Amino acid sequence: MSLEIDIHEQSCRGCELCIDICPTKVFELDTEKRLCVVKHAEDCIACLSCAYICPSNAITHTDYHAVKNFYRDAEFCQRMGKFL
Amino acid sequence: METNKQRLALQDAMVFLGAIASGTEQAIGESANSISYLAGVNLGKRLSEGVTNTKDILQALDSTREVLKKNDYLWLFEPFKTHDQETIVQEDENSIQVMLVFRDCMIRQSLFRFGHTQKGSLCNMMYGFFAGALQNIMGQESSLEIVHAGENACYKKLIVRRTP
Repeated sequence: MSLEIDIHEQSCRGCELCIDICPTKVFELDTEKRLCVVKHAEDCIACLSCAYICPSNAITHTDYHAVKNFYRDAEFCQRMGKFL
Repeated sequence: METNKQRLALQDAMVFLGAIASGTEQAIGESANSISYLAGVNLGKRLSEGVTNTKDILQALDSTREVLKKNDYLWLFEPFKTHDQETIVQEDENSIQVMLVFRDCMIRQSLFRFGHTQKGSLCNMMYGFFAGALQNIMGQESSLEIVHAGENACYKKLIVRRTP
């Protein structure tokens, strides 16, 4: 699995919220374009906080591990049966 | 119990867990963190009883992961390093540090199910769990600092203090 991050250039307003929230400093500001850009995609932990906080919904991730909503997962519910 | 009933029961249990965390924090404030932490320590110690001792932090983390898997606990994690770190394990004279990424987490799911904030008392339970398990496995004190609590993953710093 090779995670990719894409920032839609026309949507980005350069507000830098993604830069502020990212714990591993994946983004930086392109000062010429006044846009946020992906600098170190390899450092992304796929917490998705940047995508959630972006007011323009400009950030998308692909090929990442999406957490299991395990209370909806039949197999996991069976495994959790012993706790219930 | 058939699966649909299990799902409903699990959702109820998660909402209940979220409600307990929320209520305790409202009633006793930050003391709720200490209570959850100690509960986590006890759980970590109990579940890691009999695990082979080691001073190697990565091996200790593997053992902790096995303990969690064996008990069907959805608290899976992995060590992580950023591009500017040379090694996963960072050491200085006082401590050994490893950054950990937590992806599937039953606590995060419970908090979201109830609509409660992260980094609260339930998250401290995980801190306690690691402290208890690593106390058994490595014989050393440790802390698990929440660097970032995200929607799809959390980023934490595990610090194991060296014994003099």
